[in-house]
Amino acid sequence: MWTFFVLPGTILLVLVLGFPAFQSILYSIYPEGGGSSYNLNNYSILFSDSVFRQVFGNTVLFVILSVASHLLLGLGVALVLNMEIFAKPLFRLIALLPWVVPDVVVGIIWRWMFDPVYGSFNDLLIKAGLISTHIQWLSNPKLALASVIFVNLWRGFPFVMLILLAGLQSISTVLYEAAAIDGASRWQLFSRITLPGLKKMLVVALALDIVWEVRRFGLIQTMTQGGPGNITEVLSTYIYKQYFQFFRFEYASAVAVVMTAALLMVSLPYIWMISQEE
Amino acid sequence: MLSTSFKTEAEAFRVPPTWIPIKPTLHAYIYMWTKKNFGIYFLNSTIISLATAMLSTFFGALAGYGFSRFMFKGRKFLIGFFLATQMLPGVLLVGPYFKLLSKFGLYDTRTGLIIAFLTICLPFSTWMMKGFIDRVPDALDQAALVDGCSRLGVFFRVILPISAPGMVATIIFAFLLAWGDLLWVICLTSTESMVTVTLGIARTVGEFRIIWPMLMSGALMGGMPAIILYLLLQRLLVQGLTAGAVKE
Repeated sequence: MWTFFVLPGTILLVLVLGFPAFQSILYSIYPEGGGSSYNLNNYSILFSDSVFRQVFGNTVLFVILSVASHLLLGLGVALVLNMEIFAKPLFRLIALLPWVVPDVVVGIIWRWMFDPVYGSFNDLLIKAGLISTHIQWLSNPKLALASVIFVNLWRGFPFVMLILLAGLQSISTVLYEAAAIDGASRWQLFSRITLPGLKKMLVVALALDIVWEVRRFGLIQTMTQGGPGNITEVLSTYIYKQYFQFFRFEYASAVAVVMTAALLMVSLPYIWMISQEE
Repeated sequence: MLSTSFKTEAEAFRVPPTWIPIKPTLHAYIYMWTKKNFGIYFLNSTIISLATAMLSTFFGALAGYGFSRFMFKGRKFLIGFFLATQMLPGVLLVGPYFKLLSKFGLYDTRTGLIIAFLTICLPFSTWMMKGFIDRVPDALDQAALVDGCSRLGVFFRVILPISAPGMVATIIFAFLLAWGDLLWVICLTSTESMVTVTLGIARTVGEFRIIWPMLMSGALMGGMPAIILYLLLQRLLVQGLTAGAVKE
């Protein structure tokens, strides 16, 4: 009986997702520019390509900094929202907004605000007396990646906050009361009750956020398109360019396969944990 | 941004920037709708996202019910498979999709995009619907079965009506996922008549001269459906997002 319910979705997934994924693997071992036999040439080209290594490094940096800042900010805001504060629902409502808006929209708005001459970001900083010259946020090679990560911090932390807030609310208040009677300090409350209680939620938020940030495309495509040079190029924009601007299908597939393998490796503990629990 | 969208083009390029428009105008909005085909983009986004959301929620509800109620061999493996498909990056699939859709004449069509978006939405919808259905007590199923209802009857007459709020949340979440996507649209469309809102916005970036008031009004309108849906159904959406992750 279960087959009737589960099978349609499974078959659909295999068709629309499994099959193309398999094809991608086939492309990736097909020699560039034609040939008769399958080989691993695309992979050896890839690993000796300095641009690929740079892009891979960019992606790792982008993901680690984004996710770490999402976690810190998300946890901070979740802790505040979990307290009895004035107008809590309103704050929660506003805090989530940056996350529901398409990242393309966020990217384009910040591109405008980051405009060195006409944008409001420089204007604000100058008026506040923090800077004296107009800063090229997105075209200065030293700043571009940091600027993109800064925007992504603001855009992405609400999801982590939401998951952690749900976790916080599931921790029984009795635990805190008991510990307070025993004379626990605030730090002890946090490290002995809050953090252990949040463990599972932290894993969930971390895993999903890593996966999403590795795949992030629209934000970077609208803000910098990977430039200047390859300074802000990440794997997804790089693969897109290889496919649809340089038409290197086989090479692009190889990069995509490497990216997928890395993603699955990172998320395997999460998948394992959830599916065993069920 | 809101401010810029009400500016004239000349005012947007004033140094230092004005924070509140001196002469507010709706010119940018009118321009986007009449000169820039923004109406078409909006229609495309709406049709594609809505169809994807309905389809993925229906199949997701079926699978979610199966996972929620039945213990069978290979269940853990299948759940793992559904979760793993959530992790696959779109860039792994756009290449084969480009070729496959071209072969079947579905490249640059709404149908093609709907199929492609199922890859993003179906795993999520399944997981979210399972979370909602888990909250419906199994005793209700059993009662209906004893009364002579079939499993299908239970699903359609008991489970779906009870988890209707959950379905709405799932549909909206899938809708937002599809609405916000750029990667698939940029790879699988080529003509003006198939452009969606996100692509319409993103394309202007490469243009030689960016008319910011127009672009800001476009961005604002592109973000609006998401904001409105979210504000209306905030509680439901938050519940849905955490339903899959948090167990009471």
